[in-house]
Amino acid sequence: MIDFLGYLVIGCPILTLLVLSLTGLFQQPLPSIAVDRLTKTNVAIGLLASIGILIWMLWTGNRIRVLDLGNMVDINEEHLHFHLEFIFDRLSVPMILMSFVLIGVIGSFANIYLQADSGYHRFFLCFSVFLVGLIFAFLAGTIETLFVGWELVGLSSALLIAYFHERPAPVQNGLRVWAVYRVADAAFLAAAIAMHHQYGQGEFAKMTGSGVWPEGVSTLDPWTSFLFGILLLIAAAGKSGLIPFSGWLPRAMEGPTPSSAVFYGALSIHLGAYLLLRISPIFAESIMLRVIVVLLGASTAIVAAAISRVQTDVKSALAYSSVCQVGIIVMEIGFGWWYLALIHMIGHAFLRSLQLLRAPTLLRDYRSLENAIGGRLAHQPSPEISADAHSLSSRWYRFALERGYMDAMIDLYVVRPFCNLFHYFTRLEDRWMQFLSGETPVIREHYPTRGSNSVSDPVITASPGANRQ
Amino acid sequence: MSSHHHRPEDASGKRLADHSTHGIRREEIQRALEHAIHYLPSQGPIAIFVHHNTLHAFEHLPFEEAVVSGWNKYHSQPYLSEERFREEYANGRIIDADIDEVLKSDLGDNQSAPVVLDTNRFQLRRMMLGHVIRNGPDQELLWFTAETNALDQFRRDVPVQSDRNIVESVKQWLLRHASSPDHASSPIDQTIESIRYEVNRGPLDSWSHENWCQLSLRWLHRVCREGAGFVGEVRTDDVSVHRHRDVLLGTCQFDCDLRVLELLVRFLSSFTDQGFAQWTMPNRSLGIYKSFLELYEVQSFFTEPWKRELAEAIQEDKRAGRSAMDSIENSLDRLGVPAGQIDDFIESTLLALPGWSGMIWQLETNAEWTPRPAPSGALMELLAIRLLLDRASIANAIRELLPSDQRQWLSEHGFSIEKLSECLEFQERKHVRQSVEQRAFILFQVAQLLGWPPNALVDLRPDQWQKLMNEISDFGSLERRRLFQLAYERNYRTQLLDALASQSLKEPRPAEAISFQLVTCIDDREESLRRNLEEVVPQVETFGAAGFFSVPMYFRSSSDAHYIPLCPVVIKPQHFVDEIGTLSQQELQRRQAEARRVLGYASHRIHLGSRTLAAGIVTSLLGSLASLPMVARVLAPRLTSQFRSLVSRIMRPNQATMLLIERIDMQNNHQQSSLPTPKLNQGFTHEEMASMVQRLLGDIGLKRFSRLVIMLGHGSGSLNNPHESAYNCGACGGGRGGPNARAFALMANDYRVRRILEQRGMIIPESCIFVGGYHNTCNDHIEYFDIDRLPPSHQMEFLDAQAKLDEARQLNARERSRRFHSAPIDMSPAESLKHVEGRSEDLAQARPEYNHATNAACIVGRRDRTRGLFMDRRAFLTSYDPTTDSPDTPILMRILQAIIPVCSGISLEYYFSTVDNVGYGCGSKLPHNITSLLGVMEGAVSDLRTGLSQQMVEIHEPMRILFVIESTPQALLSIMARNPNIDGMIRKRWVQIAVLSPDSSDIQLFENGGFVPYSPTVNQMPRVPNSLAIYQYQRGHLPFANVTAS
Repeated sequence: MIDFLGYLVIGCPILTLLVLSLTGLFQQPLPSIAVDRLTKTNVAIGLLASIGILIWMLWTGNRIRVLDLGNMVDINEEHLHFHLEFIFDRLSVPMILMSFVLIGVIGSFANIYLQADSGYHRFFLCFSVFLVGLIFAFLAGTIETLFVGWELVGLSSALLIAYFHERPAPVQNGLRVWAVYRVADAAFLAAAIAMHHQYGQGEFAKMTGSGVWPEGVSTLDPWTSFLFGILLLIAAAGKSGLIPFSGWLPRAMEGPTPSSAVFYGALSIHLGAYLLLRISPIFAESIMLRVIVVLLGASTAIVAAAISRVQTDVKSALAYSSVCQVGIIVMEIGFGWWYLALIHMIGHAFLRSLQLLRAPTLLRDYRSLENAIGGRLAHQPSPEISADAHSLSSRWYRFALERGYMDAMIDLYVVRPFCNLFHYFTRLEDRWMQFLSGETPVIREHYPTRGSNSVSDPVITASPGANRQ
Repeated sequence: MSSHHHRPEDASGKRLADHSTHGIRREEIQRALEHAIHYLPSQGPIAIFVHHNTLHAFEHLPFEEAVVSGWNKYHSQPYLSEERFREEYANGRIIDADIDEVLKSDLGDNQSAPVVLDTNRFQLRRMMLGHVIRNGPDQELLWFTAETNALDQFRRDVPVQSDRNIVESVKQWLLRHASSPDHASSPIDQTIESIRYEVNRGPLDSWSHENWCQLSLRWLHRVCREGAGFVGEVRTDDVSVHRHRDVLLGTCQFDCDLRVLELLVRFLSSFTDQGFAQWTMPNRSLGIYKSFLELYEVQSFFTEPWKRELAEAIQEDKRAGRSAMDSIENSLDRLGVPAGQIDDFIESTLLALPGWSGMIWQLETNAEWTPRPAPSGALMELLAIRLLLDRASIANAIRELLPSDQRQWLSEHGFSIEKLSECLEFQERKHVRQSVEQRAFILFQVAQLLGWPPNALVDLRPDQWQKLMNEISDFGSLERRRLFQLAYERNYRTQLLDALASQSLKEPRPAEAISFQLVTCIDDREESLRRNLEEVVPQVETFGAAGFFSVPMYFRSSSDAHYIPLCPVVIKPQHFVDEIGTLSQQELQRRQAEARRVLGYASHRIHLGSRTLAAGIVTSLLGSLASLPMVARVLAPRLTSQFRSLVSRIMRPNQATMLLIERIDMQNNHQQSSLPTPKLNQGFTHEEMASMVQRLLGDIGLKRFSRLVIMLGHGSGSLNNPHESAYNCGACGGGRGGPNARAFALMANDYRVRRILEQRGMIIPESCIFVGGYHNTCNDHIEYFDIDRLPPSHQMEFLDAQAKLDEARQLNARERSRRFHSAPIDMSPAESLKHVEGRSEDLAQARPEYNHATNAACIVGRRDRTRGLFMDRRAFLTSYDPTTDSPDTPILMRILQAIIPVCSGISLEYYFSTVDNVGYGCGSKLPHNITSLLGVMEGAVSDLRTGLSQQMVEIHEPMRILFVIESTPQALLSIMARNPNIDGMIRKRWVQIAVLSPDSSDIQLFENGGFVPYSPTVNQMPRVPNSLAIYQYQRGHLPFANVTAS
């Protein structure tokens, strides 16, 4: 019975995804009413099933239930296997509940909000990919299951950021977020491979001990803990926008409001923190790791708080406030306050979603606040800061305005050398190819600039025969 | 490197040796700036949204020239796309008669100008409008002719006689030719022979019709290719490049503007922030230029290379102690802008970020009501820092992208656009040239469609081919779209004028038979409310007047913090009016205001706190509680809002308030000095009130008073809608017109005012009572003011009228709901009302209502002329009684002075936002992001977006508004002669205008500089029992019909 509920929790999102993707694939898009009903029903069933599991857990006092689907791929000679396993425990069930509630609300919000928009079906497809990814990630019992969910979440996030693909900015920003995610993924993948290398399998139980979360006792020695911990911390930092990756979150606000709200403001951003919680027992083993986690969380929180104070647009301000809170959550994890972190995470997700959903009402909210207060809300500059450029306040302001220089640093000291290196290789290759083929290099074409669609037809001059061929 | 070369320098670095100061005159810069300002969008802070003509700067030009100038300036479309017009043609929205008529009148005497063969210009153009002439790249055309049946069959849309004409002509020519003796010697014959063998080797008399078609088409195609070869080169259309960025983008594919945009948008939004960010920019009071210098002067390890160049340029400016103007002068010098090009350069630099440039100008000149307007000279300072940024970005791009020899060359020759282009071998973008293949394909299609046989075309001389091609090119896409636009407008105009001409002249109702009278705004959205009310109560009379009801004022409600102007933007109010609690409840209200203030501060703290570090922890830990309101609001918006208002009503029972409309001596009133001391008059004198009442009643021709007159102002309330203000009353300057209606009713009821009016000859019977109200056009709610002060004698009548209005607003909600795709098509009136109530409270709703999206016409005249006519919410209805106006029509004149700017502003803003939603409008509202509390940008960083969103205009039919005025041509011409603005709008075709004779159904239309009689095409409208019979189960625009119920 309880396994059946578990299968429902996993199956409903997958069913939604299958229906939406297959109908899309065969060019038979469902009418919006059907899409709405499909997503609502499946989310509702998933939600009820997870409530059922919660009740069962509370009722029986059983704190863990594992759904083992066995190896999807198993090549023994190569020691390659892909083990699909889902865990329902005190950590995953609350996260699942929260996800279903948020996703359900956002789904019905988006159904109205995106009504008659040309990307309606695309949105709901990405939305269902996201939901599947999230459920996989939260319920994952093995590192490879988590990786599948992690990747699906990343992919759908990037596609949703680039939702308005007619304009260049969303696509560029989507690509940038995708690149940051890839860095995180690389660290994650390295951790997964290391884990398989170490144990020949990827069950978290191996890493975090056999106890039930959060009471597991890691069987790793401090140095292995440290290695895994650092790799997974990099992965988490990328996904959760911790320093130095914070710059991606405001860029994610290119998509339609509901996707910004739920995906980056509330769910995606917590995935990294969730990963840290999932592997929390290994923190117990390495003091150094804990110190690093706390420092990373604290510095993220402080920097993001400063940055959010100078943001003038509502979505960026909310994005950095989210980063700030996630930093605090990471700090809490580092201190070992795991339940607090869990509660904080869930509360924060709800609050931020609501704030983002009603972000376009800002003007109205400000007006009613002003009316209630009976005066202007504009903060009078506390003492009018008229400091010269080198003063601390001016620099600190510039630091916040430039968003902590994080993206600039990455561009300057990582991306640029990287690109230069590969450009250099390209040139080498070109030269080598020229040498081999003896051909001249390709001439760059001149691309048209703005407004390349001519409004009128070309005009013909009155010089007959000038162009006779 | 030899020593006589100059040291390589860059554009932002030290002064170049041979480019010392040009001595560019400051006046020239100043003038260029003033010139550029005209072309900036004139939309101010979004909290007060006023519709205006997007191309206001071009109003001195005729419409069709202005839209092309707009294309040249902003690269935004002048008309709908040709495909869209062709769709409308296919759907019957444009019919053949429309095209014929507009083409005839457009060509005038040139209709029968010969083209080639027997075809005249009219026929050629008519064909090109009716059929699409396709074109494509050479390769595609080659593929198309080789691989498809393009040379086997005629185009499907070729008229039968053209097709037959060609085949028959070829057949006869060939048979005749084959029998003639000297055949098989000329090149033509060789061509024919080769085609013949491609088609069918058998004898000619065994050929099928298909064979003949194949032969004809192949031959025709060859002839056309031959002919196309005779045609001259395509003239290149110079697109002049004004900025360095364009050259670099065109050659290196590097856009210097992107990083400038990101920095500048961030800086400007912080500088102009109206109170959203918690930290104010340091040195803000120094102005844009100085604070920018302070902020970006510093270099550090973190500074990106191009910002280092910026910092160096800034340090240089600071060292030299330059003012903004000095800095501009220096930058122009450095960028090598010659004196003659300063205008273009400055203009295109400012237009690289039009939204923000326009906003800075608005904040500088037109936004004294905002918390933080910009100091004067702000736009010039913006230009100064923009040029600094551009210089840094360009210099850096040159340093990083160009090889050293080019850099060297540039540093010797200077960085002017010419030199840069020369250095990079940049070729200005040319318009697509037509190749021979493309021209041939065009000619081939035209020949098919017009039935020109190849045997006739083959004899054309080169100059005839040239003439033909010129005729075709002269009628390019732009011209075709212009004509389609005319046809599109003509179609609706014909329908409207036919409908008006078919209305019989009705006798006015006797005063006793009028149950009550309703005065609403002229707004197109009130048309349906009025019509539905008239259907519910045939004895009612309705009027339309500009929704501020001639009461211009600064108004502050009892719960508002600030005064807002409630009148058209062209008027500056002279009076303050306050709403306060009634005397008996003032103590209660004071306490409530105190409580509100405490709550307000608390929620503001929460609002900010949730975004900070420490307080954020607390709020997020409690954040799970946010799930409740969120789930409730999204899933059941209407119920949630009802619940909320219920709760707030328990906490704060509805308060009795009163309007302080009477002049108060401020000396006695100092206990209320928490208000900012009004600079203008507080309240109106009785004389002023009488004048306002007299004026409005005179304007709308209300002279026979029933016992109850209801005045309805209007506005709109919706959630998650930054453009909310745009949905309010245009005549109240984007405010809500309720207080105006309320004030008017109070004045008209005042016995002292009536006494003055009596002296002036306007007698309002004692039995007549005015009631003010407010209609929310989004949720169709109507609120009435001061009904406790109704005399008992009128209470039953009021309740009765209220019941009727309730019925009418339900019907109105149903009529509106048909437009909403998310609303079921078959709702009952009560369900519809619930639906629209839900919409206005729904956070997810991107289309709370459709605002003026259906506006198309404006009718100025007695309601009797249009009563019973179903106009589908597409007409502004202004009441005007020509029989009460004096011969020189002063009333009409002042009505038109007010409504032509307002209605044409609405119509044209909708026009431009529709024809190019991305260029002139603000695009889809889904990714909008409110910034600095001033406007919206798209996503994470973009320019401020002005204009209307896609969701606002998606059902709009872009047409210039058609005014139909119940008056005589002489009166109109005389008004035009006296008012150059109106005259310009009409003669330059920004609006269409027609007059309806006051005593017959004759209509005259203003065309080509004068009024010409209009002859109706139909004289009977369909008759239906009620409006529902027309709109039921319909989503689209609907034709006119007569409703018998009213």
